Amino acid sequence: MNEPILRVRDLSKTYMQGKIPVHALSDVSFDVQKGEFLSIVGPSGSGKSTFLSMIGLLDKPTSGSVFIDGVEVTKATDSEAPVIRRKKIGFVFQHFNLIPTLSALENVDIAMRFARVPKSRRRERAIDLLTQMGLRDRMNHKPSELSGGEQQRVAIARAMANNPAIILADEPTGEVDTKTRDMIVELLRGLSEKGQTILVVTHDIAVSAKTRRIITMRDGMIESDRMIS
Amino acid sequence: MFDIILKNITQRKLRTGLTIFGIALGIFAVIVMGGMSEHFNQTFDRSISLTADKIRVFPEIGFGGGDLNESKAREVKRVTGVADAYGLLQASLDPESLGFFGGDAVIGVQPEKFPSLLRDTKLTEGRFLTFGDGYRTVIGSSVAREFNLKTGDEIQIKSKSSLRTSSIAHARNFTVVGVLEYTGSFFDNSVLIPLKTAQKFYERGDTVSFILAVPDQGVDAEDLSKRIELNVEKIKTFSPEQLRKQIEQSLVVFTLITISAAVLAAIIGGLSVMNTMLMSVSERTKEFGLMKALGAETRDILFMTMGESAIMGVLGGIFGIIGGGALVYYLNDYLASRGTILFSVTPRLLVISIVFSTLLGIISGLYPAYRAAKMSPMEALRYE
Repeated sequence: MNEPILRVRDLSKTYMQGKIPVHALSDVSFDVQKGEFLSIVGPSGSGKSTFLSMIGLLDKPTSGSVFIDGVEVTKATDSEAPVIRRKKIGFVFQHFNLIPTLSALENVDIAMRFARVPKSRRRERAIDLLTQMGLRDRMNHKPSELSGGEQQRVAIARAMANNPAIILADEPTGEVDTKTRDMIVELLRGLSEKGQTILVVTHDIAVSAKTRRIITMRDGMIESDRMIS
Repeated sequence: MFDIILKNITQRKLRTGLTIFGIALGIFAVIVMGGMSEHFNQTFDRSISLTADKIRVFPEIGFGGGDLNESKAREVKRVTGVADAYGLLQASLDPESLGFFGGDAVIGVQPEKFPSLLRDTKLTEGRFLTFGDGYRTVIGSSVAREFNLKTGDEIQIKSKSSLRTSSIAHARNFTVVGVLEYTGSFFDNSVLIPLKTAQKFYERGDTVSFILAVPDQGVDAEDLSKRIELNVEKIKTFSPEQLRKQIEQSLVVFTLITISAAVLAAIIGGLSVMNTMLMSVSERTKEFGLMKALGAETRDILFMTMGESAIMGVLGGIFGIIGGGALVYYLNDYLASRGTILFSVTPRLLVISIVFSTLLGIISGLYPAYRAAKMSPMEALRYE
């Protein structure tokens, strides 16, 4: 078997709520192979969002480690974190989180700017990605002029921009109707079939049912981890 | 990144406009106040350089108070090292309406001393005074403009009795025989008349206001100034250096007052930038968090936010310079018709204004930028 693209080892996170410690994550360990399309499900407070923040370097664990593409990201310093974020990780958020003042094209472009990609290549890649997302004729529209589904597709294109090792999607269908939801899930599935690793956090069973592997979390621990054939 | 900065600025047009207006007002004040201060410095420099070689001799009691007999000039001239010495009588052209900054002055001088007094200043028309000229005058360029005078025209000079404070003793018309070129010094506001005529007209007998002593070639003016004071009784001398120091001192105070008023105005403009940026940063908390999640580095965020405030500073500076420049231009134009000029917008002032407004923008953006940059992406993304 190949080296897993994501390796999580004994990951724990304890918050202090006043003087009471809250164990948001306790000794979570698992591997994800390249091209996998998996979902993490669980009720609110089960630790799935905390977990996503750890992998995405948005938060630091209390103990344990995360390796992405062989690099231990949990050891990254404040100055290394941005580099890892833009090279290894693509984010898709529930609220799309597009920059309202920028057009669809510019929203995809900006992710590559931070990665210091030259201008000519950025434009070409952004057009290519938006075309893949079926947004070729919507490229110059601002987020406010796009539907929820279109916005989320722009966000996915943005996440793909720097060819990340893994795409982390936090409730990507939380704000769209069922038809759009199905379309977005299909899109992600299609990307994974082309070799893109995608990790979706959701509590929508219809979404997780379309993924190939479901990790269920409860009280900060993995309750089950099963493959769907 | 520049295009994104511009987008952010133009996104909030009214707020950006008001902020830029705040800075522009500050820089406007810098230009107007600074222009005034620059003008006084320039006039002072030119006036000093025109008379830099001469020592001023005043009566011991004070500048205006005591009488200085013309015979003292002969005493001064006898001091070793003095090439020439002559008295001048100075009075206000119109004692009833003292101008804002002293107004025009009548200077009585012996016609043969013109070359010494004015050095290489030329005439734009007419001739200098000659021996035997009575009620004739050579006027400075500002006076000519103020009263719209040419050679052959007449100018009225009024004298006031020193005993009665409010009434004019008498007035008399003098014929203009020559107009001086623009010198940028106090000579521009001078009406030069023969000393004898002045003494008669002002009923001053044989007295003069002060005496100018011209040192011999190679003689140190400072030393000579002290020697004159030792050798001639009841007088006080002002060497060119002393005069420079004294005027500089009063100019420093004036400059400080004008500049600090202007700087205060500009700092208030700077605070408005800081306010705008803080507001804009807190509004975009989520945006900055997102950018960090996308891999933006601290310096990217700093560059973006400080870029915004710097551009507002530069624009404010440009508009302030245009506004201040326009006001100064029209005020100078108006004042010139009344015989005076009050402002000089020098290249130095322009550079200072634009650098100052840019720095103001950058410094005011520093704290908001720092707040934006240190935001944790996690907290920023959660922020609603």
